[in-house]
Amino acid sequence: MNRIENIFLKRTTKAGQWEKCLGWAFRLTTYLIILFAVLIFGEIFIKGGKQVFKTTPPFVEVDFLIEAPETLHVFEHEGEEHRLGNSEYQVFIQSDKSNPISNHSTYVYSAGGIFPCIVGTILLVVGAIVIALFLGIMSAIYLSEYSKQGAFIDSIRLGIVNLSGVPSIVFGLFGYALFVQFFGWNVSLMAGWFTLAFMVLPIVITASEESLRAVPMGFREASLALGATKWQSIRSVVLPYATPGILTSSILGITRIAGETAPIMFTAAYVVRDELPWQVERLSDFFFQGVMALPYHIYVLAAKIPQSEYTSGTQYGTCFVFLVVVLTISLASILLRAHIRKNLKW
Amino acid sequence: MGAHTIEKKKEPMSFGQALSSKSRRKFLGFTLDGYIEKFFMIAASIAIVILLLIITFLFREGAGFVPDYRSHIALYRKAGLEYVDLIRQVEDEHKAVTRALNQVRLQEFKYLTSEKGLSISQANEELIAFDEFLKKYDGSRIKLSGLVSSLSARVTDVKDRAIVARDTAVAKKRFLQSSDPEGRAFGESLEVEIIDFDEETEALRSQESDILECNSALEYDLRNLSAGLPRVQSPVGRKKVKAIASGIGEIKENIIETNKKIENYNFGEPVTLISSILGFVFGSSWVTQSFWQDWFGVIPLFTGSMMISSLALIVAVPFSVAAAIYVNQLASQSELNFIKPFIEFIGAIPSVVLGFFGVVVLGEALRSVSQIELLSWVPGFPMSERLTILTAGLLLAFMAIPTIFTLVEDAINNVPNQFVEASYALGANKIQTVFKILIPSALSGIIAAILLGLGRVIGETMVVLLCAGNRIQIPEFSLGLGAYLQPVHTMTGIIAQEMGEVANGSLHYRALFMVGLVLFFISLMLNIAAQQIVRRFRVRI
Repeated sequence: MNRIENIFLKRTTKAGQWEKCLGWAFRLTTYLIILFAVLIFGEIFIKGGKQVFKTTPPFVEVDFLIEAPETLHVFEHEGEEHRLGNSEYQVFIQSDKSNPISNHSTYVYSAGGIFPCIVGTILLVVGAIVIALFLGIMSAIYLSEYSKQGAFIDSIRLGIVNLSGVPSIVFGLFGYALFVQFFGWNVSLMAGWFTLAFMVLPIVITASEESLRAVPMGFREASLALGATKWQSIRSVVLPYATPGILTSSILGITRIAGETAPIMFTAAYVVRDELPWQVERLSDFFFQGVMALPYHIYVLAAKIPQSEYTSGTQYGTCFVFLVVVLTISLASILLRAHIRKNLKW
Repeated sequence: MGAHTIEKKKEPMSFGQALSSKSRRKFLGFTLDGYIEKFFMIAASIAIVILLLIITFLFREGAGFVPDYRSHIALYRKAGLEYVDLIRQVEDEHKAVTRALNQVRLQEFKYLTSEKGLSISQANEELIAFDEFLKKYDGSRIKLSGLVSSLSARVTDVKDRAIVARDTAVAKKRFLQSSDPEGRAFGESLEVEIIDFDEETEALRSQESDILECNSALEYDLRNLSAGLPRVQSPVGRKKVKAIASGIGEIKENIIETNKKIENYNFGEPVTLISSILGFVFGSSWVTQSFWQDWFGVIPLFTGSMMISSLALIVAVPFSVAAAIYVNQLASQSELNFIKPFIEFIGAIPSVVLGFFGVVVLGEALRSVSQIELLSWVPGFPMSERLTILTAGLLLAFMAIPTIFTLVEDAINNVPNQFVEASYALGANKIQTVFKILIPSALSGIIAAILLGLGRVIGETMVVLLCAGNRIQIPEFSLGLGAYLQPVHTMTGIIAQEMGEVANGSLHYRALFMVGLVLFFISLMLNIAAQQIVRRFRVRI
């Protein structure tokens, strides 16, 4: 009468149950993190997407991307609610004065677009990364290939590693004291470039040096044994194999530079600037002008402007664009790294 | 791949051969290779000089703070503001009791009308005795208040004149040194008022007997008043009246102490350098642009930073450790390929975007959750503020998770595989292996990860600036865990907020650099500690 037990079935023991529970607990925590991230992305992508995309061709709110920020005027005229940017509002006021407007309220930066901010961010990132990569890679090559290894170099290395943990706002303070005040560059593109570049310099140096050291010593020795000079062996043997690692470091640097707000708050960013960066009289003015930047714009929008249905479009839209810019940069560099790495194996 | 690389390498080789034949030749004492080496050396030295400059400039700008703050406090003392603050303290305590009494009156009135069912006029009649007491109590302060305000006016006048005199002296010196004759003439014409602080303090001293007398009179009044505290009917009110009675007792004691302090007060007591440093490090108030006296004490900002970071770590550490263990030990390959990059992707979200999310969504969401009746047992619920330590801490936890996750995952990866295999071979199950083998062996790495995460969280600026509420005050710790639902300000936040508005070189400007130095050293210490821990407790096979 007894049922024949299937001996191949897994037996459930208490320990086994516990194990399962714990496994699920770990899985749940992990997916909770992902869920929260998805919530944040979703909130910003959906609401920001509404601001940036539209259902009629060309499907993108071109005005939002190519215009400068404007003050939004919300008012009623002949029983109709109007939402107009400042320039349109001026035209409206000039043309039609038959009926008075009522319930007039204004919201700064909530109309128009964010073009100057996008341009400013790109300028800041490109300039800073050029400086940081140039200085960082050169120093890494010197530290790992040329310098005599010893206590002195080790202490410098340690100092560099430790500086990479220093808060970005402290680099902002430094940039303000040195570039803005001491050198007298004022709030300018140059000051921002150097502040941001120096902020990521420790990261770039450390990571580049690590990838240079990962190239096997035998490669260098073989190259030198064939009669190549030191520079030849570095250029044609070490550097090609170290490039993916160096690119990894630049990825770290670029995403940090693009996302940082604190260091540029008082070194490079203006809340509002009427002219675009290239509208300057002399070439030198280009470098010594403050720019608008996406992260600082978001800060201003979030901190100084009340939340309302009139302002949320611009707020979410700017966040969306900023997030897309930052994620695109990091994605592009990840892909680039993968592409280069594919061809290198030893 | 082969053909591709050969083609690539050929070109530089031919160019390189040409180079190498020339490169042995010396030009101005160096070969070409020598020049290349020099070039890299210069680049490296520039980088090192820059990194040294960072430290130098932080110190250079912050250094002036200590002597400046010292003279700032010395002026506070010399001009007599500290002296007046002694008396003002009594007045403030007295006022606080008045406020408490008014609250009791309001409560009692509510109690009488709603619970006892009395009409408004009847309730007012019941409270006549209370009102009389309140009037008498409030009246007992009049003389003291008058004294404080007249003394305040006098000392602030002295202080303002002293500051003007100091600034004029600086300006005069600068004008006299200028090469422009007109400027020098203008410098000559500037007159610097010489302030005789002794004379001013004498004037204050002459009023000392008045002050003492006034204080003693107040004490006498209070003794009489505390005997005749009015009765109230509500139980809560009774408790409060008891607290008020003890408050009045404290004022009386304070008056006696103040009188002693006033008698022994020394205007000329020097402010030492150390006390001005301690005033910054342990100072419990950060007051700027006050008409009376500015204080630069870092403690409120430091506690704010610490509370937010501790909350962030408490939330982030279990999440990131669990996720790291899951990814490393339990996840299937397809999950692994998705989870790891995704969590690292989170690290790329700019902090200002998270801050914006906190302002717009999370703060409001937390407040509405806290207003649910079922949750009213949670300390501090319902929340009165939208932007608090909690809001900022949760977002920072989210920011710290990718950092800690990556480092912990590395640490677990570094545990030799034999350990885990040996554990399984001995018949241990997964839980036992994780908790008895994996976590203990990776512990040094995990602790280092937590320290680095802490460094990241303390140094974060935009989230705390947007979401922490920006109230410069030490939170009320008497609320227990409810303290985490208060707004605070942080060290990074204050720099970001006030740096743009301060005058270059002013005391306030230097104070911000001092805060920057504190941050710099905290992050340095955390980094060094993390390295030491990893080095010392590394698992060796």
